[in-house]
Amino acid sequence: MSATHFATPEAAPLASGDIILELRDLEKRYGPVLALKPASLAFRRGEIHAIVGENGAGKSTLIKLLTGVIPRTSGDIRWNGKSVSLATPQEAIDHGINAVHQEVMLCRHLSVAANIFLGDETVKFGLLQKRDMVRAAQAILDDMGFQLPAAAQLDSLTIGQQQLVATARAAKRGTKFLIFDEPTAYLTRQEAAQLFTLIRRLKAEGVTIVYISHRMEEIFELADRVSVLRDGQMVGTRDIAATDDNELVALMINRTIEQIYHKEQIPFGETLIETRHLSGKGFSDVSLSIRRGEIVGLYGLIGAGRSEFALSLFGRNPKTSGEILWKGKPVSITSERKAIDLGIALAPESRRDQGLNLNLPIGLNLNLPIYERLTKGFVISAGEEARRADKQIRDLSIKTPSRRSLASSMSGGNQQKIVIGKWLNHGADLFIFDEPTVGVDVGTKAEIYRLFAALLKEGAGILLISSYLPEVYELADTLHVFRSGRLVGSNPFHGASHEEVLAEAIGV
Amino acid sequence: MSTVDAASAKASQARRNYSFLFALTLLGLLVLLWVVLAIATPNFMSDKNISNLLRQGSMIAILAVGQTFVIITAGIDLSVGAVVGFTTVIIALLINAGVPVWLSILITLLVGLGIGLFHGFGITKMGLPPFIITLATLTSLRGIGLLITNGSTISIDNDDFTAFATKDFLGIPSLFWMVILVAVPAYIFLNHTRWGRYLFAVGSNPESARLSGVRVNGVIYLAYALSSVFAAFVGVLLATRIGIGNATQAEGWELQAIASTVIGGSSLFGAVGSVHGPLIGAFILATINNGANLLNVNSFWQRIITGGLIIVIVYFDQLRRRGR
Repeated sequence: MSATHFATPEAAPLASGDIILELRDLEKRYGPVLALKPASLAFRRGEIHAIVGENGAGKSTLIKLLTGVIPRTSGDIRWNGKSVSLATPQEAIDHGINAVHQEVMLCRHLSVAANIFLGDETVKFGLLQKRDMVRAAQAILDDMGFQLPAAAQLDSLTIGQQQLVATARAAKRGTKFLIFDEPTAYLTRQEAAQLFTLIRRLKAEGVTIVYISHRMEEIFELADRVSVLRDGQMVGTRDIAATDDNELVALMINRTIEQIYHKEQIPFGETLIETRHLSGKGFSDVSLSIRRGEIVGLYGLIGAGRSEFALSLFGRNPKTSGEILWKGKPVSITSERKAIDLGIALAPESRRDQGLNLNLPIGLNLNLPIYERLTKGFVISAGEEARRADKQIRDLSIKTPSRRSLASSMSGGNQQKIVIGKWLNHGADLFIFDEPTVGVDVGTKAEIYRLFAALLKEGAGILLISSYLPEVYELADTLHVFRSGRLVGSNPFHGASHEEVLAEAIGV
Repeated sequence: MSTVDAASAKASQARRNYSFLFALTLLGLLVLLWVVLAIATPNFMSDKNISNLLRQGSMIAILAVGQTFVIITAGIDLSVGAVVGFTTVIIALLINAGVPVWLSILITLLVGLGIGLFHGFGITKMGLPPFIITLATLTSLRGIGLLITNGSTISIDNDDFTAFATKDFLGIPSLFWMVILVAVPAYIFLNHTRWGRYLFAVGSNPESARLSGVRVNGVIYLAYALSSVFAAFVGVLLATRIGIGNATQAEGWELQAIASTVIGGSSLFGAVGSVHGPLIGAFILATINNGANLLNVNSFWQRIITGGLIIVIVYFDQLRRRGR
């Protein structure tokens, strides 16, 4: 194990038209939801190919398809001109396709060397040769220019350093096609520079790099070509020299504004909630207010601190400093119960993890916040329980045979209606909707937007959190942009163009 | 989308039928065991044996109902056998000290409550896994009981108290009446009160329950408190049955209670469970033990049969659940 752990020189750059991996009409559906519309794309040997798109545009679906994590619905993947199934992660690795994920997928309790050699350990007489592996791993790391100790336990390193270890591990396996998903999110400037050096070197050795990032400057620094995904569709591929960030941002955003955004102007009423320099875990110094009849939009990338801010308003995470005023009076919201009693409702970001009790009936999910009210004396009024559940099922046209069906048997759109329906059952003045239309088909989206209008008419206020720009752009009366846990821009209705808003969120 | 919903219509119908069928199958298994034993052994259907069987099964049945509350929240309570042994000591000491019987029972139940609240504290405030905190009380309660009694057995000097377990009412053993006394309120609690709903919600997804306004920690306290109070109640019943207080009694009962719950259709992953399931499960186990004794089956085999039964029943349950 010397310094020859990269792809063999024989595989080094050939003609620039040499295609290593080709997608032909690759498609992925989840039930009725089309996660990736038929996409065709050819990756050249030894190129750095960037992929950009908004959250939910289909980037992670594409990575999962290429690394064998999920099966495709239809279409063809050709590896070196031959059709391959890529049915399992192992098959992808055997071909030489590897990915370095945003979340580090390594064993935290093992040493750096053990992680680099995981599944490919050096063994003599059935025994691990730990010292040999540490020495070899150190040689690999030094060779790559990473200043990391091979003998250290992985979780003694920063997340950024762990990401470099993951990169070293992928590179060591003789990879020919390496996917980076937001690799610099946690890296320091210096670490990022080391990573870029390694990426260029892998390219020189003939490895194809797929580079996914929101950071435009990195894409223009590194990439040869860039492809844009929007709403699950491959909308274009450009040579990096022939494009600029304005064109890319324009491609990332759907310009045709769909008719589904139902919006009526309602006169604003009293101020429901006001935050003054509110800080907490994941966000800081946020000042905004929401009035009756108003939709306040929060746009930003996932992980920008929007959901943490919402959870703090709802009492899930305590604030660390700042003030919350509810209908003009200072309040401290220390528990979810307190928020609910004030009149705040939250439809959280993740339906599966936060919004639903999946293996329980729809009726129980819809009534969960109001069982106290349904209790007469000691027991629940069964008739009232059924009536309240059936009313929501009817009003929201939740497509289910019965309130006794399990929430897990519903499609994404109907599940989202349950998450929202439980708060309509309860009633509230302020509704916080965190990514209410992710994984929801267009028809249900329109229903959800009509519901927003009805809530506003009844005098509620809405905080709408979304990483889908057209949604917040069209619906919000006031639009705030979050980046790295802070409000970086606040615009009155239609005051800024899509491009300006997105540029602000990305920080171009 | 309509095909998805049509499929889910069928699935929900099948699921309701299934849980009813499962209960019926268990009951059928119990009846089948009784019929086979009645034919195979001359003594099984005798009054004496049936009362004995009901007495044997009753105490595990009550423990299993308490255990079910905990298991529905996706937890586990390993301490219940030790609580039974420990509380026989407490009630024996109280009665021998001249405390009125009613007050002795009340104090013993309060001791159980205290143990349950301690479990709740360990889980919610100290962040200990339920398995660990209840394993710790399992071993230490036995130790405390032995320490108090200096390792000896305390005979209870109160004939009225110790006669209770042998009495019948309307031809049915008093201990079995205690099962009914516990099971009816437990059924109402689990199926017709909001706290019952909350147990399921917490077992299914505590984060979603919390964000729907459920006080998750309170629900966990409640589940473990109920389990320990039920165990203390069984401690009282056991003391009347054997007439002594001894901290080493009820060894392994926690496993029988868990087995009854699981045979009765509860899922150790939480959010699935009933009151009738563990009751039937407990009496199936009691029947197997009783029948094996009558048939002169080596008692070592009883343990093996019980283990095999758990695997078979839970495996079939898993198959059906996955299939739906």
